[in-house]
Amino acid sequence: MQEQQPGGKAEKMADVVNVGVNLDAFSHAISGIQALRSSVSRVFEFLKDGMKNRETLEGREKQFISEFQENLQAVNRDLNELERLSGLVGRPSESHPLHNSGLLSLDPVQDKTPLYSQLLQAYKWSNKLQYHASLASSLLNQQSLKRSANQMGASAKRRPKVQPSTLVLPPQYVDDVISRIGRLFPDMTIELFRPNGTSAVLLVTLGKVLKAIVVMRSLFIDRTIVRGFNENVYNEDGKLDIWTKSQYQVFQKVTDHATTALLHYQLPQMPDVVVRSFMTWLRSYIKLFQSSCQRCGRFLQDGLPPTWRDFRTLEAFHDTCRM
Amino acid sequence: MGVTCVCQVPVAEGKSVQQTVDMLHKKLEQLGAVKQGSFCVDCETYHATGNSSSQPSKLLYVMHNSETPLSCLALFEGGPCLIADANFDVLMVKLKSHFQNAKGHKVESRGSRYRYCDFLIKVGTVTMSSSARGISVEVEYCPCVVPGDCWNLMKEFMQSFLGPSVPELPSVFAAKPEGLFAPADCVDTMTQYLELFNKLRKLQIPGSNVR
Repeated sequence: MQEQQPGGKAEKMADVVNVGVNLDAFSHAISGIQALRSSVSRVFEFLKDGMKNRETLEGREKQFISEFQENLQAVNRDLNELERLSGLVGRPSESHPLHNSGLLSLDPVQDKTPLYSQLLQAYKWSNKLQYHASLASSLLNQQSLKRSANQMGASAKRRPKVQPSTLVLPPQYVDDVISRIGRLFPDMTIELFRPNGTSAVLLVTLGKVLKAIVVMRSLFIDRTIVRGFNENVYNEDGKLDIWTKSQYQVFQKVTDHATTALLHYQLPQMPDVVVRSFMTWLRSYIKLFQSSCQRCGRFLQDGLPPTWRDFRTLEAFHDTCRM
Repeated sequence: MGVTCVCQVPVAEGKSVQQTVDMLHKKLEQLGAVKQGSFCVDCETYHATGNSSSQPSKLLYVMHNSETPLSCLALFEGGPCLIADANFDVLMVKLKSHFQNAKGHKVESRGSRYRYCDFLIKVGTVTMSSSARGISVEVEYCPCVVPGDCWNLMKEFMQSFLGPSVPELPSVFAAKPEGLFAPADCVDTMTQYLELFNKLRKLQIPGSNVR
């Protein structure tokens, strides 16, 4: 008699007291789940215990197989019972009183305009999204990637007064720092261009191995792109081409690693130290084709030489071998 | 445009040239290489005539490479070389009085071209007057321009599909350890091919009577 309720629901749409879920069948289904769980764990216990001792090997095997079959059949029976019960439980009705939005469910044409069910789904989805976003933001905030000396939030009122001095540097100072670093390393030549305004663009030539273009924002390194020694650095206008990727996979990988490096070396208060560390790291690529991987000892992995350089020790690793 | 190494692969025991080439193709495809068309390198020989008979006539080799289809290379063995337009062949016809074409000495290597990561591999059958003489394998590592740097890397790569028959550093590179491999010329590549062709040409002379 309780099973009639889901059918009768269609007649009593406006009756908000009517709950579409069959509570009795629900409790039976829960005990059905418990029975299924116990029979499944019985199967695994039986497997764990292994064969019982009998006189002959054949006897042992037969006994084992017959008991195993019995256990599996018990599992099957419980599963079928559970399926039958779950069919009786029914779906929770969507005509719950949710204040004004519940009035949307009064529309009789449920197939063509399922407004209310979609509304409920959208609401649940946005709740989940908010929850996950708050988890993600708490995780991301642990690893700060801010590269300017600005402080957000609390000192918003004081921000106009505390101007980050490292962002506004005279171009002459930037030139001096870069030329000093260029003189430090004999096999690396750095040329400075200013094609667009005051931001410097450096062309770093490392031996006969690679050419790197480093785009800067005062003394902070903004982005970098690495190409081979024999690739074209200028575009048709004669200006530095800072966008085209390298045609070789090895240098595309090195570009990715260089981008990781410029995010790794950060010191908002002392940007010249940062530039020097980055150039030291880049210089380790002079032996890009000569070094073997420190971990696996080979030269090639998937056709690529060891392209990763450790940030502290400057040792060479394959991208897949790095620790 | 990179460091190129040309080597000869011996024909496998009990197999024909074509079967060995197929074996190499299969190994390359297992490695993950992608076939990218075909290639052809050929070489014609010219005798320098008109000189006094006291000097042995020098041999001029005119070579073409499908990698640089618009140019052609003319060189004396161990001597100066010239890179010219494709019309150079027509010029050689006009210079018949000074250079005579040794017909029947034309050697060519034809085969498929594979690409694996930054490597270019060309496996070709060397034929002279339509008889297969051997197998040539050219491996080019494009990103690097200094041969001394990447030789170990290339050797490791060649070992992975050639097995034990890995060559030593080509003599062209031994001459310039720190030098820049000038890829635009492709002179070094063609010099290696010439050495290979001459070796294969000499090989056949004691063995066969067909000329």
